[in-house]
Amino acid sequence: MALQDLCQLQEVFPDPDCSPSGTRTGYYDGGFPASSSSHPFNFFIPAAEFLQESPLRFGQVSSALTSQDHLLSSLSWPPGLPQDAPQSVPLPFPMSHGTTTLAFLFQGGVLAAADTRSSCSGLVACPSSQKVLPIHSHLVGTTSGTSADCALWKRILARELRLYQLRHGRRLSTGGAAKLMSHMLHPFKGSELCVAATLCGWDGGELDQNQEPTQGGARTGPSDPDSLEKASQSSTDAQKSFVRKRPSGPSLFYVCSDGTRLQGALFSVGSGSPYAYSILDQGVRWDLTLQEATSIAREAVYRATHRDAWSGNCVDVFHVSSAGWRRRGREDLREEYYRERDRQGGGDLREEYYRQGGGGPEGGVVQREGQTRGGGPEGGVLQREGQTRGGRT
Amino acid sequence: MALFQVTGFKHYAELRAQILPSGQTHLVDRTNHYNFGTKTQEFAVPVGVDPSSFLKSCDREGGSSAGRYLASNDVNKVIEINPYLLGTMSGSAADCQYWERLLAKECRLYRLRNNHRISVAAASKLLSNMMVGYRGMGLSMGSMICGWDKEGPGLYYVDDNATRLSGCMFSTGCGSSFAYGVVDSGYREDMTVEEAYELGRRGIAHATHRDAYSGGFVNMYHMREDGWIKVCKEDVSELIHRYRKGMF
Repeated sequence: MALQDLCQLQEVFPDPDCSPSGTRTGYYDGGFPASSSSHPFNFFIPAAEFLQESPLRFGQVSSALTSQDHLLSSLSWPPGLPQDAPQSVPLPFPMSHGTTTLAFLFQGGVLAAADTRSSCSGLVACPSSQKVLPIHSHLVGTTSGTSADCALWKRILARELRLYQLRHGRRLSTGGAAKLMSHMLHPFKGSELCVAATLCGWDGGELDQNQEPTQGGARTGPSDPDSLEKASQSSTDAQKSFVRKRPSGPSLFYVCSDGTRLQGALFSVGSGSPYAYSILDQGVRWDLTLQEATSIAREAVYRATHRDAWSGNCVDVFHVSSAGWRRRGREDLREEYYRERDRQGGGDLREEYYRQGGGGPEGGVVQREGQTRGGGPEGGVLQREGQTRGGRT
Repeated sequence: MALFQVTGFKHYAELRAQILPSGQTHLVDRTNHYNFGTKTQEFAVPVGVDPSSFLKSCDREGGSSAGRYLASNDVNKVIEINPYLLGTMSGSAADCQYWERLLAKECRLYRLRNNHRISVAAASKLLSNMMVGYRGMGLSMGSMICGWDKEGPGLYYVDDNATRLSGCMFSTGCGSSFAYGVVDSGYREDMTVEEAYELGRRGIAHATHRDAYSGGFVNMYHMREDGWIKVCKEDVSELIHRYRKGMF
């Protein structure tokens, strides 16, 4: 085992002298010979080595440690255990987890939305990052926490789901994907890994007759009539044959790196989530149309970006239905802000009052009934509702 | 500052870190400590052409908690300083009640000495100066002073750090972020009175729905040119059922 580990490490060690076998793909996917490793999650994350090797010194504590020492010390760790990165190597800069993501169920499927700002305690590291990542054709995940962790674990989840699909001939349900992710993250509990994701998917209602993965052989999809007939004929044991209709429809799960796994109808995650929650609580109902749902999601992200410093820039909206996921074009929320300011007439509130009758607010707020407010196709559904409700009381 | 070190003067931030190690402003974790873990929300809306119906409603929900124990469901977090001045409370219940009563006393003395009512700006300044004297000593108070004086309507946010901000809409307390979303969305400068009432109720109701430390009732006040009126006192659970009727 020690020799095998040594060989594996040699393969991905960023050493130009040792010749890689040519299968090295990337740092987080490399060094993982799936065939020879018994542990499915025995992957090697050479992050520590990388930071040690990097000529840029980020003020690391253990700078006296040579690369050879580190190699030896990591050999003594049994494979499969995560390397405790914060202990040996401090993070190059303090990470902060600011974002606004949300997802909710409605009659048309699942809607997921997120802002696009990646912040790093005061610095906007990327104003156009993607926080809603598609995992497979009918599953989309929103990410919150450390962006690197989220991106990595989403890819790992996508890989595992694809393997499941190839092995069993059907897609894993959203709940199953959430459980899988939760179990994958469990070994890292207590470390600084921070992933808070919502998995939004549409589960296909495939009938499972005689679902026997251990039988192996050439198994086509369960919809193949020949295989079904064959299976029902061949299996005489009543216990083995079962018909289970899996529930189909939209489904939403929240998975967190501290082990939380919750099923729900509405989730919002991130530092901007309180601001988004109140908007969503107001407007989300089961019988929303797609357009209404999109506008509520946009409004919620917009309000959160307005008040929260760590959320901002643009908004991404994804919609998952029985046909798969679809992505709306990314929209800059700055435009939304200007549009709203123009609707409200602009200008300072007190100036308006002190000017004593400058004819009311300037600008284009002439009609109150939501005409200008609903200027864009998606604009102001909430506002219209708010006005009519106000009129009733 | 060498002199500071020699005399043992502790920097404000250090003192604060000792008193509140978790760094949070609102002492929600002290079991003996009564708290307005709340959100109190106010916004000022002028109707440009008609100054007499200038709106300002102060909503308060009435719940105070001591650690995880809900001490009272029915606390009025608005203190009526005089018929033209209101103060709201969030943070530590004891601090808020004491200091705002002190402010009420000072306002009354000002009126007796100077023969005219104190302005909102001056009243909030008085409170802010009181806070400056106790800076770093662990007071916890987030309050809004609203009133109507010679210059018109006034709304000030005063903090236990002695932050004093003038604005047209504020929300304070641990549920304030939830209220901000709702009120930002529905706020317009040219709202009618009824719309403003409804917006205030919604803001508090949705915030109490999501925030564990808020709940109870909505106490709504409306500050008008001729003084404040108490609009209503509604149970938030009924409100939230009304608003979320269509939800699943």
